Amino acid sequence: MEYFDFLQLIAKILLVVGVCLGVVPVMVWFERRGAAWMQGRVGPNRVGPFGLLQPLADVVKFIMKEDFTPKNANKFYYYLAPLMALIAPLCALSVIPFGSKAIVNGQEIVLQIAQMDSGVIFILAFAGLEVYPIILAGWASKNKYSVLGALRGSSQIVSYEISMGLALLSMLIVYGSFNPHDMVSWQASKYWGVVVNPFGALVFLISIFAETNRLPFDLPEGESEIVAGYHLEYGAMKFALFFMAEYIAMIMASALISTLFFGGYSLLPGMSQLISMISSHFGFGEVGMTNVTAVFQFVSLCSKVGFFMFLFVWIRWTLPRFRFDQLMDLGWKILFPLSLINLVVVTLMVYFLNK
Amino acid sequence: MSPVIIVLAVISAVLALTMLFTKNPITSALCLLGVLIMTAGIYGLIGEHLIATIQLVVYAGAIMVLFIFSIMLLNLNTESTDFKDKPGLFVGAIAMGFSVFGFIAFALNEHFANHRQDFPMGEFTSDKVAALGGNSKVLSHALFSQFYISFEVISLALLIAIVGAVVLAKRKFD
Repeated sequence: MEYFDFLQLIAKILLVVGVCLGVVPVMVWFERRGAAWMQGRVGPNRVGPFGLLQPLADVVKFIMKEDFTPKNANKFYYYLAPLMALIAPLCALSVIPFGSKAIVNGQEIVLQIAQMDSGVIFILAFAGLEVYPIILAGWASKNKYSVLGALRGSSQIVSYEISMGLALLSMLIVYGSFNPHDMVSWQASKYWGVVVNPFGALVFLISIFAETNRLPFDLPEGESEIVAGYHLEYGAMKFALFFMAEYIAMIMASALISTLFFGGYSLLPGMSQLISMISSHFGFGEVGMTNVTAVFQFVSLCSKVGFFMFLFVWIRWTLPRFRFDQLMDLGWKILFPLSLINLVVVTLMVYFLNK
Repeated sequence: MSPVIIVLAVISAVLALTMLFTKNPITSALCLLGVLIMTAGIYGLIGEHLIATIQLVVYAGAIMVLFIFSIMLLNLNTESTDFKDKPGLFVGAIAMGFSVFGFIAFALNEHFANHRQDFPMGEFTSDKVAALGGNSKVLSHALFSQFYISFEVISLALLIAIVGAVVLAKRKFD
């Protein structure tokens, strides 16, 4: 591998990981302020302007707390679980493109960490690995509530993976490619995936709520029933890792649904005029134009991801938690058959439209 | 060969040995999971991304979840999870494993020793696959055009297995 290739790979990884970890404290703040806003409360407003330094105070609290380990816990797996929780969604992010290409030093850089021909299927692979930290954390803590939470979490994730996979499959048939760049250019040249397959988008949205264990599907944590579920025995920074993992999984899911259904990094309306205005004002050549476009594509993807993060918070404070049998009924008896029917409909649609 | 592959191979060998010699079934299952993930990593490093992905989706993401799930559900107390030491069985199993490995190595060696010169290359070289749009595209085309009958037959067989499992697991009909 050449020096330049290596350097650009490291730069892309640092950008993605940096943005993700940087968004977490903002989301923590926004989650609390959003909750307060929706419930007509004030929310955190004492630490810094608008309570913006609240995440910092949280971090200090997490670090200063006693870092206890339960006596009967299986130590190795107990410490392994939070690490795995953080790694799986970060790996999945490596396939999501955050721009078409940039040109640095005369060399073209594809703005995607891993360019592999299996593309989005790779994301599913890592979404499947998100089950392990939950099972491990619940089992290694040697606590019955943790085990209950782990069982709930893993059965929920495994069940909703099916409808998620079917919704993804219907979009793969529409785009005819695994490659996320192809998907985005298809959507940029025609219409967003959500217009073609709105039902698939809905099923996918519901499934990612279940996959990321967010309300109304946060049964693995269900405070009122099983205390805190699989991370009950985790304190201090170990709990903070689970907390961060949840937000990173949310970012990953939002980026995935934006890429599949909402045009990914394709420019929002009005942006192309802005780009031509900027480049004519500063007199950019073709290279500068490409780079400015890349920046705007990144902004476009980020704004879409931001909207979905807002949606996650919005729904969390709007809908109450499901009961476990309702959750399973929704997954197996409603979403699964409906997404199968949707798959058939989309297949027929694609066949007759392309004929 | 990239040095990373060697590192992954060594890690997976260590994990495989741990899987064999540990007494805790969960450790055993997780080591197997580790071996599968490392193998996926090796596939990825030699450029076979599709195989790596399928390895992760099918083995690491689905089958091992089932394994670990059933181990955790069936016995949660340590007394019943520890395997009983049975040296005779252990030695027999090791001998059997080595003999199977030996047969496979012998067969492969024979095959390549005899056919090395006139070994016919397949239709798809790696350059040709890359020109056609990557492994996943070529494989999908082959599955859904050339081999679609076998594909459908296999899916029928899987359906039969699922129906059988449901019938076995269902409580008696009223």
